[in-house]
Amino acid sequence: MQASGTKLALGIYTALFLVFLYGPMVVLAILSFQTGPEGGPQFPIIEWSIYWYKHLFGMTPPTRIAPLPIEEALVRSLVLAVMTMIVSTVLGVTSAQAFRKKFTGSGFAFYLIVLGMMVPGVLVGLGMALIANALGIDRHWWGTTFVLHVVYTYPFAFLVMLAILNRFDQSVEEASWSLGVSPVKTFRKVTFPLIFPGVLSAMLFAFTLSYDEFSRTLFASGRDLTLPLAIYGTFSVEVHPNVFAFGVLTTLFSFALLGTYAVLMMLSIRRARRVAIQEEA
Amino acid sequence: MAMTAATAEAASADRSAKKMPDRTFWLLAPGVIWMVLFLVVPILMMVYVSFWTQTTFAITPTLTIKSWVTFFSSDTYLSALWTTIRIWLIVLAATLIVGYPAALFVGLFVRNKTLQTVLLVLCVIPFWTSFLIRVLAWRPMLGKEGAINLILQGVGLINKPIEVLLFSELSVIIGMTQIYCVFMVGPIAFMMGRIDQSVIEAAQDLGAGFWRIFRTIILPLSMPGVVVGAIFVSVMVLGEFATSAALSGRKVNLLGNIIVTQVGSLKWAFAAVAGVILTILMGIVVAALLRVVDLRKEL
Repeated sequence: MQASGTKLALGIYTALFLVFLYGPMVVLAILSFQTGPEGGPQFPIIEWSIYWYKHLFGMTPPTRIAPLPIEEALVRSLVLAVMTMIVSTVLGVTSAQAFRKKFTGSGFAFYLIVLGMMVPGVLVGLGMALIANALGIDRHWWGTTFVLHVVYTYPFAFLVMLAILNRFDQSVEEASWSLGVSPVKTFRKVTFPLIFPGVLSAMLFAFTLSYDEFSRTLFASGRDLTLPLAIYGTFSVEVHPNVFAFGVLTTLFSFALLGTYAVLMMLSIRRARRVAIQEEA
Repeated sequence: MAMTAATAEAASADRSAKKMPDRTFWLLAPGVIWMVLFLVVPILMMVYVSFWTQTTFAITPTLTIKSWVTFFSSDTYLSALWTTIRIWLIVLAATLIVGYPAALFVGLFVRNKTLQTVLLVLCVIPFWTSFLIRVLAWRPMLGKEGAINLILQGVGLINKPIEVLLFSELSVIIGMTQIYCVFMVGPIAFMMGRIDQSVIEAAQDLGAGFWRIFRTIILPLSMPGVVVGAIFVSVMVLGEFATSAALSGRKVNLLGNIIVTQVGSLKWAFAAVAGVILTILMGIVVAALLRVVDLRKEL
């Protein structure tokens, strides 16, 4: 498409669109450096300081502003995300393996799995709370919430793995089988290294989605808060810049995670390339 | 794809092919059981409980339609239903209007693959920030002393802060549009990227102007992307309650907010009724959107 006037206009529009996407976060990040404890969550910046970051870690003298209950919540959220990541990746890999063969009812199974990422958290969460209520089970983040997180993240892992396995050269596996290597060993030595980039992506999806997941958690967990619930708790009260500082920190944490993923991905691709070169030689 | 590989393999490995159905079953069973137990059963339970009897602090499994009657005869609940539908339609339109030009630029006008990827990644990066933080970030933007009012006053466009920006329906709509418009941009940009450039060049050579090309080529070919994006946005907006809780100052009550409040006061049966109505609403919306374009044929 070469209409240059239109192209220029659309380009400017897209730049504005990106400002719209990032603007609020930038403002939030700037305001997190407001001075404390008297500085509020608005402009102008009275004085630049890292007071609210210290406040988060309990390194400031106590004031009327209660610190965010993040310490235990952070541990819970991380444990929950790791649990969810492991289970949904295993489920995703196994079911995607199953889909490599055509079988009756595959359409039904596919939609059943994908439904998990489409149904809003408010509905599954409510349903799970009702079941726990009727059966007299206590709701906990490691129980009722955990199974719902897997319902949400497992479809993502499944779709990623399906995409990877679709592009996967089966003859390598068949060669291994025909040489008499057992299916389990074939999976470990041949299939798994080939699908590893997909597994890594599935894990990243599952971890970040679970770490952030809120609506399912709200209904299905009991008294113990996870991080998103701790943030949600601040919605109903006056917001102080400590929430903003916390937002900046979680964002940095996510980027660190993304960076780790990128490095691992690059290493695995480089290794695959090296193996390929060795085989050619 | 698996099919052709399977036939090619049949001759050499019929031993393993015969064992496959069994293997498939065991590979698939854990996932399917998980989804039935923790997705299908909860939804069915919600439908079931909506017919239970609600007393002040408990529910008893005596079947009744009293909660349904209460819902449809209460102004609060009905107005929540209308608010949900209104906000959904407005946000859907807003995400489409805001997102479509950006998708058009990224998908069709940017020919450099690297730049295209960079732009798409830039759209996705905000998702690595907590959803709730992104919602909350609108407060210092929209408030009376917020960034937008400060800028507008600084430029001299207004001399008094616009108060309607925060804690109103408008703030909920702005917040949701920003959070969900990427789900519109992604699928549309994907479909744009698949448009054969030579078709457009042919139209240009034949003297068609940009609007003509847009109307007759680009718009129809990008429709499947619009529908997929609309499904994503619809399902998410209809199930929303956090954005309205954070940005409306309790002025906007969506069905999701009703569910949260009812659960908070242990009115399980009412919450279940609201949940079932939300489910039905979503079902209708998704079915209607799928009617517009036959996705299986298009993708």
